[in-house]
Amino acid sequence: MTPVIAATELRKHFPGQAGPGEGGTRRAIEAVRGISLTVAPGEIFGFLGPNGAGKTTTLRMLTTLLPIDGGTATVAGLDVRRQASQVRWHIGYVSQLGGADELATGRENLLLQGRLYGGSRAEVARRVGEMLPLFDLSGFADRRVRSYSGGQRRRLDVALGVVHQPEVLFLDEPSTGLDPQNRASLWQHIRGLRDRGTTVFLTTHYLDEADVLCDRIVIIDHGQVVAEGTPRELKQQVAGDAIVLELRDAAAAGLAATELAGQPGMRDLNTDGAIVRLYASDGPAALPGLLRRLDAAGLAARSLQLSEPSLDDVFLRQTGRSLRDAGDQGGPAADQGTAGATGVAA
Amino acid sequence: MKAVTDIGLLFRRYLTQLLRNPVWLVVGFSTPVLYLALFTPLLKGLVGGPGLATGNVLDLFLPGILALLAFASGTGPGFSTIFELRSGVIERFRVTPASRLAILAGPILASMLLMFCFDLVVVAVGWGLGFGVHLAGLLVLAVLLALLMATMAAFSIATALATKDISGFAALINGLNLPVLLLGGVLLPISLGPLWLRVLAHFNPLYYTVGAARVLCAGTLSGSAVWQAFAVLVPLCAVTAFWATRVVRRAVA
Repeated sequence: MTPVIAATELRKHFPGQAGPGEGGTRRAIEAVRGISLTVAPGEIFGFLGPNGAGKTTTLRMLTTLLPIDGGTATVAGLDVRRQASQVRWHIGYVSQLGGADELATGRENLLLQGRLYGGSRAEVARRVGEMLPLFDLSGFADRRVRSYSGGQRRRLDVALGVVHQPEVLFLDEPSTGLDPQNRASLWQHIRGLRDRGTTVFLTTHYLDEADVLCDRIVIIDHGQVVAEGTPRELKQQVAGDAIVLELRDAAAAGLAATELAGQPGMRDLNTDGAIVRLYASDGPAALPGLLRRLDAAGLAARSLQLSEPSLDDVFLRQTGRSLRDAGDQGGPAADQGTAGATGVAA
Repeated sequence: MKAVTDIGLLFRRYLTQLLRNPVWLVVGFSTPVLYLALFTPLLKGLVGGPGLATGNVLDLFLPGILALLAFASGTGPGFSTIFELRSGVIERFRVTPASRLAILAGPILASMLLMFCFDLVVVAVGWGLGFGVHLAGLLVLAVLLALLMATMAAFSIATALATKDISGFAALINGLNLPVLLLGGVLLPISLGPLWLRVLAHFNPLYYTVGAARVLCAGTLSGSAVWQAFAVLVPLCAVTAFWATRVVRRAVA
């Protein structure tokens, strides 16, 4: 199948200048360092990485907002560099800021957006009429956007991005600032778009979002791709289960690490303060032996967590850092990255 | 063709935004009227003095107010641009196939319409206070004011896109305001000043507009001041608009 988006060796550098949107590009000379990716039609493609990894910069190059310094990119079969104005007809883009007019109503915003894409007044009005219920906007379509709640606004932003029925929708950090309920609802709407045939390209630094929502993921760090695949494939790279132990203090953690190192079936052991993290090919089977061993050494775990490997484990394995600590600031929902982990009090 | 439709769409959008901002409207209307009400009495004592013609002081002062209004109206779209950069509106438009010229021209034309409304109020109030209205002169003046306003607006939008933040932009515009205002001869005629000041004034587009405005308001359509003003403003407006469109096209918003 011909990819909807294909990028080869994309590069962007900001000569000692602030990169918009992403704090990390402020210091970096090269914000994007040779990113290649392909997105197949009809998939939700996740671009996962910590803040400042170059996600927004890449997105802005693909959406014609930022000149491409190196490499090539095609979107909907068109060359982004040379056919920027044609590319714009085929894509929708929702920035982190959204960009709806606060003094206008939701309906007015949608009508204007549709007409800027060349639709006639009647066509656009009909289309907007269809979209309002689809995005749960009917109840307040004629109220000014200023009065909208965060979730309502976000749904309007997404609706603005697809009013012209684009082949590809680009979403930049779509769920930032939303509460869990609104995030879940937004995900439903994004899945709905995919089911109706739109390809969705989204950036996120939330592990659970990438895991739950995306069909395929590219993980990037420092402007480079570090891993690529479906969430399941990626997690299988980290075969086995993650075990996280919390000891009394760093010294105890050091002793525990020495004690557990080289145990059969356990790998990738590392310590971080009082925390010891390791992977076991069969976690539940390994636990009793592990605890006995600690006990014999006179060490007691304060808490113990056994979980299926998460995307964070994938990131950790590739970069040696935890995704949640890697960014300049972690969002509130970043903590939900280990959702589904089984906590066992020891 | 698409450009014309887009200009229409973005013109209506911006006008709606302006009209839904009552504070802005009230200030916009009251400022020029306050100038007339508060400054005219001060000038009354000077009439017939050195450099000032005899006659109604409003005939001298009101054309300057109109020129000043055109200059000030031009800074409005720049301030909105800063706000719209922050709220993502500019970026949203830039991803659409909307004409880049329309992104610039829509707000400028909407502000211009509002400026003419303010102008009408000023002329009407002035007329009540004894300002002599010469219709033909005022119509030609309207063209000049439109040119000055569009130049200033294109400049302020492009500057806003370049500076990106309100403090830098506001500092620049305010810093520009005072010298341009004083060297424009809006409040007092430049002819009162020494030679160096008069020479400096010739680098100020507002100076030509004010000079032409006084001549036109007196009912003279073909004075040399009028031709000079057109000769300065037409190319200036064209160059500024060209530059600003380029900035919008390439803006890293």
